[in-house]
Amino acid sequence: MSAAATESRLSGRTAIVTGAGQGVGLGIAHAFAAAGANVVIAARRAETGEPAAGEIRARGGSATCIVTDVTSRSDMEACVAATVNQYGSLEIMVHNAFRGGTGHRFEDATLDLWEQNSRSAVWGSYYSAVLAFPHLQRAGSQGRLILLTSPAGVEGSVNIPMYSAVKAAQRAMTKSLSKEWGPLGITVNAIAPVAQTPALAGAFAENPVLKERVEARASLRRIGDPERDIGGVAVFLASEEGGYVTGQTIVCDGGSFMGL
Amino acid sequence: MRLDGRIAAVTGAELPLARGLALALGKAGAAVALFGDVQALASVVRELESADVRAAAIDASWDSREAADEALVVAAESVGQVDVLVHASVPEIAFEHCDFVDVDDERFETIWEGSLRGTMFLLQAAYPYLRDRSGSVILVVPTIAMSGAARLVTYTVVEEAQRVLIKAVARQWGPDGITLNCLAVAPEQVPIGIESTSVSLAPPALGGRGEPEHDLGPVAVFLASDAAAFVTGATIGADGGIWMAP
Repeated sequence: MSAAATESRLSGRTAIVTGAGQGVGLGIAHAFAAAGANVVIAARRAETGEPAAGEIRARGGSATCIVTDVTSRSDMEACVAATVNQYGSLEIMVHNAFRGGTGHRFEDATLDLWEQNSRSAVWGSYYSAVLAFPHLQRAGSQGRLILLTSPAGVEGSVNIPMYSAVKAAQRAMTKSLSKEWGPLGITVNAIAPVAQTPALAGAFAENPVLKERVEARASLRRIGDPERDIGGVAVFLASEEGGYVTGQTIVCDGGSFMGL
Repeated sequence: MRLDGRIAAVTGAELPLARGLALALGKAGAAVALFGDVQALASVVRELESADVRAAAIDASWDSREAADEALVVAAESVGQVDVLVHASVPEIAFEHCDFVDVDDERFETIWEGSLRGTMFLLQAAYPYLRDRSGSVILVVPTIAMSGAARLVTYTVVEEAQRVLIKAVARQWGPDGITLNCLAVAPEQVPIGIESTSVSLAPPALGGRGEPEHDLGPVAVFLASDAAAFVTGATIGADGGIWMAP
């Protein structure tokens, strides 16, 4: 594919990416903008969201930061309304924001930790889906919902049971909604990434052996780049070329998990 | 396969699916504590007792950690310390078909938070008993959650979250000798009005939906028995051969 073709794959479309102030969300936002989309950085904190949007604009892309708490229906309503008000449409909704990945023993796990996991991953997905829906419906065969999940949502993770549960919830939402919205032309997919993010960097700093282990487990022997590796998959799913893929979890982890 | 000396707690036996599992566990030798609506469970208790099974219905809820703890304590006093937990209950509203855009916060809260918190509280409350007795947990899910279902988004979200939670917890509690598995059943086993034939590309290999006590019960008995001591984190499909992935 030529550079020009790549750059125009999402031109004229508008995307909201939650949790796009950093990490995987930021990578996807950059990739969307490079493919020609208008990108709304829905970030909980302006301190990360505004510089992210600024960086995209500095690269010649179209981006706005809207400070949004994905666990709040009214925040999400306002974010969707402001997006459509500014750009005229919303074709692509990406829910990536997450809080609560702290390791825990399940028998001692607190409701507070559950709340973080549940509200950010599952309620955030629910709000993303239902509030974007009227606009995705209008977009018809260009309508896209993409949820960021994890291999832990397939096989369970020993250190983070609650994370495993909410990531599985998102995969199930992907499958069932793809069936519900398929007749309208809207696709619903999930991406399960492993990428170099601040969260992962923090985990590696705490446990240097983990980096070696994660790299060794990947067939490609490296950790994914949020923009190039994960963003590329998101652009594909959001583009016309990805229009016949729905209800799927695309594992994008360099070939670590092959259980699907 | 026998479960003599075991104490099984069962949720959801107000409905035919878990009722059949409870009967199978009891007839295999386990004493049975039925958690839930005592009045609705009275006929199951009578049926178990008429088969010479020690059984009790316990007016239990698991909507808070304290309530779940209390349920396990009452079970220990009335039937014995639980070493098998069969969890098949979800809030009834989960079975209602609803376009996802019409699911309001209250409905989502009841189905999603109600189910997941309840399961967490039950598992957490059961943990000390299971740990002391190398116990087992069996979560009952419909295979339709794995295939996805339109207009049942919240229900399938709940069941898949629970199914993968079981895997993660199986990894944590393995060193304690506790096994956690899922028993996956045909959609006709839960009151959602969906036929097996609509779930898979192929019709159910074995034809019918299966009968809870005689077709599904033996699988639950196996998972609760010593024969399954090395099986954990697994989902055993007993849906007559509908869903075959992986």
